[in-house]
Amino acid sequence: MSNPQRKRNFQIEAFKHKVVVDPKYADKTWKILEHAIHEIYNHNASGLSFEELYRNAYNMVLHKYGEKLYTGLVATMTAHLKDISKSIEDAQGGLFLEELNRKWNDHNKALQMIRDILMYMDRTFIQSTRKTPVHELGLILWRDNVIYSSKIRTRLLDTLLELVLRERTGEVINRGLMRNIIKMLMDLGSSVYQEEFEQPFLEVSAEFYKGESQKFIECCDCGEYLKKAERRLNEEMERVTHYLDAKSEAKITNVVEKEMIANHMLALVHMENSGLVNMLLDDKYEDLGRMYNLFRRVSNGLSTVRDVMTSHIREIGKQLVTDPERLKDPVEFVQRLLDEKDKYDKIISSAFNNDKTFQNALNSSFEYFINLNARSPEFISLFVDDKLRKGLKGVSEEDVEVILDKVMMLFRYLQEKDVFEKYYKQHLAKRLLSGKTVSDDAERSLIVKLKTECGYQFTSKLEGMFTDMKTSQDTMQGFYASHPELGEGPTLTVQVLTTGSWPTQPSVTCNLPAEMSALCEKFRSYYLGTHTGRRLSWQTNMGTADIKATFGKGQKHELNVSTYQMCVLMLFNNSDRLSYKEIEQATEIPASDLKRCLQSLACVKGKNVLRKEPMSKDIGEDDAFFVNDKFTSKFYKVKIGTVVAQKESEPEKQETRQRVEEDRKPQIEAAVVRIMKSRRVLDHNNIIMEVTKQLQSRFLANPTEIKKRIESLIERDFLERDNVDRKLYRYLA
Amino acid sequence: MNKDDTVKLISAEGFEFVIDKKAAMVSQTIRNMLTSPGSFSETQLGQVTFPEISTTILEKICQYFYWSMQYASGKETEFHIEPELTLELMMAANYLHT
Repeated sequence: MSNPQRKRNFQIEAFKHKVVVDPKYADKTWKILEHAIHEIYNHNASGLSFEELYRNAYNMVLHKYGEKLYTGLVATMTAHLKDISKSIEDAQGGLFLEELNRKWNDHNKALQMIRDILMYMDRTFIQSTRKTPVHELGLILWRDNVIYSSKIRTRLLDTLLELVLRERTGEVINRGLMRNIIKMLMDLGSSVYQEEFEQPFLEVSAEFYKGESQKFIECCDCGEYLKKAERRLNEEMERVTHYLDAKSEAKITNVVEKEMIANHMLALVHMENSGLVNMLLDDKYEDLGRMYNLFRRVSNGLSTVRDVMTSHIREIGKQLVTDPERLKDPVEFVQRLLDEKDKYDKIISSAFNNDKTFQNALNSSFEYFINLNARSPEFISLFVDDKLRKGLKGVSEEDVEVILDKVMMLFRYLQEKDVFEKYYKQHLAKRLLSGKTVSDDAERSLIVKLKTECGYQFTSKLEGMFTDMKTSQDTMQGFYASHPELGEGPTLTVQVLTTGSWPTQPSVTCNLPAEMSALCEKFRSYYLGTHTGRRLSWQTNMGTADIKATFGKGQKHELNVSTYQMCVLMLFNNSDRLSYKEIEQATEIPASDLKRCLQSLACVKGKNVLRKEPMSKDIGEDDAFFVNDKFTSKFYKVKIGTVVAQKESEPEKQETRQRVEEDRKPQIEAAVVRIMKSRRVLDHNNIIMEVTKQLQSRFLANPTEIKKRIESLIERDFLERDNVDRKLYRYLA
Repeated sequence: MNKDDTVKLISAEGFEFVIDKKAAMVSQTIRNMLTSPGSFSETQLGQVTFPEISTTILEKICQYFYWSMQYASGKETEFHIEPELTLELMMAANYLHT
């Protein structure tokens, strides 16, 4: 006796202490075993001794009667299976499957018992003669004698398929029985399962779903159809888990996907009144989510959905940005863009599983249509301006961040970021100088965001503006500390702005009232005294003033006006009536500004501190102005409408445009030089490409413009053309 | 000891050995006898008769069952076999598939 490892090495020779002499020994022994097999099939095994049977089989094999034992087994089992097959064939209608199942269970049990008692044969005789082991033999015999029996084979398949069909049409079937039968087919080998069931099952299913989808597509709207398709798909998957081979799941879902979705994809997406576009318009998250999940299963499904969505967003966006009505109100315009973005963000997050490719499609669509309108940068800046002026009052910090983040998102879509910068600078300057910023934190937060987005260079000037504001405060304190005698009389607040950081305005000085200009002179000498080598020039067009006024009936008001308006009003301290010409002469305010300022003083209802003759909406060159003694207001402080940041008029727009173009030139040149310095030699197309890439974060460089800049650089001897290949440029150090 | 957990092995001479089922199942043949579906008499009675195995050998076999379980659980000791028993024991081992 030894443990199994060692035993394998030596063959145990058959040796029997009792030498069998009886020539009928084999027959007798086989009779015992044959009888036992009959008994087992007849459920009569309880009296049998395992040991005895095993010993007999053992001895038969040992005495070289293995062949006899094996063929005897095949014959006996075949005979039994033929009987069984017959009784199954005789089963009526619905009992057929049940009988089959019962017999199968019997056979299995018998088979196991037979295998156990014949185990010695399995171990030695079958292995050395390479015959089929008992258990497998039993399955093969069952397959050949029962399943392949001509009267059972087709009947079985038809019955199974009919049951599936009945279940599909809503009947309840005996799933347990189904499962057992299918399991039997699988036990007989996966090829049996595939040939006897799976293959025809898939074919029949394809036919079924082809018909059904045709029916649905004719009578259902898209959402309803998808619901049905989804239900069918789930049903099939459920069917697989209940009684089919797990490997069939992919195959049957494939069939459903192909017949119900792939074949009708375009019809579904473009379905009139209920297709994808309608779902998007009506925010049908559930339907959209369903469409996403179903279409994801078929090739090109998602790309179809995505393409339709993209073209829809582009269409909508294009209408939005080119609608002349919308252009009238920049804030509303941007708000609409944000709303649209929110809408699709929500759709993508709640219905499209936050699919990256959809997000990219959304982004590219926005980028596409926002840049269709050249005024988008301006409008976005105006939107920020509006929010930072008043829109953020009473809004919590987090909400401010949210709004700013959204604005940044739109900003990212802009190709002409430098145009935005230009406008943003102007608007920021107006906000800072008029003290209209609501929240310093919000302002700075946006600057930080711009900085992270576009780099230091982009925001350095904007930050410079904030620094100037801060320094100016200190300077004013210093000024009043060194001039204590100025406590009485008008107060002057000067903001010293660094040239370059602020948007340049043509500096047209007007004539300030005498008391003011004296004060200004004092400040100038103080400032130049502390900072040598600087030059101060007054930007009267950007200032504001608070003045106290007493009207006819003694009512006193504090008027908050622009510097220009202050100059005009101060004139009325000395005279009651002034003509337009007189005012223009005395103040030297540029005509367009003067008209605007007079209009806001004389023509706005409720704020008309001046009276005009003749009464009309517009300011004419021959008009005359009086103090409006009848002016009343329920407020003590009256704010006269100053010129707020507005959408630019057409010529102004042209002007800004021109300035932007002007600013781009040195940037393009710098980029060209940078690139050429590292590359030394490069051909035309590559330069254009690299320059465009480098400047992308700021604006989309125009190739013709780049070409012009290159030519200019050649003229100035930074570059030269190659003598042989004229398309090649060389850098000249 | 619970009757369900033991099995009675009877030698050719009629000696009875009551051992743990777990130990007896070291033999693949006995395992099949006790676990085969349907109701062979062995399963019903919980006893197996070996008309071709002598008491001496069956005793040695029972000893081997217990030794084998110990060996399998990591206790490596020698299993001593008297030379005169070797042949018969080997034949029994073949029969019992041990």
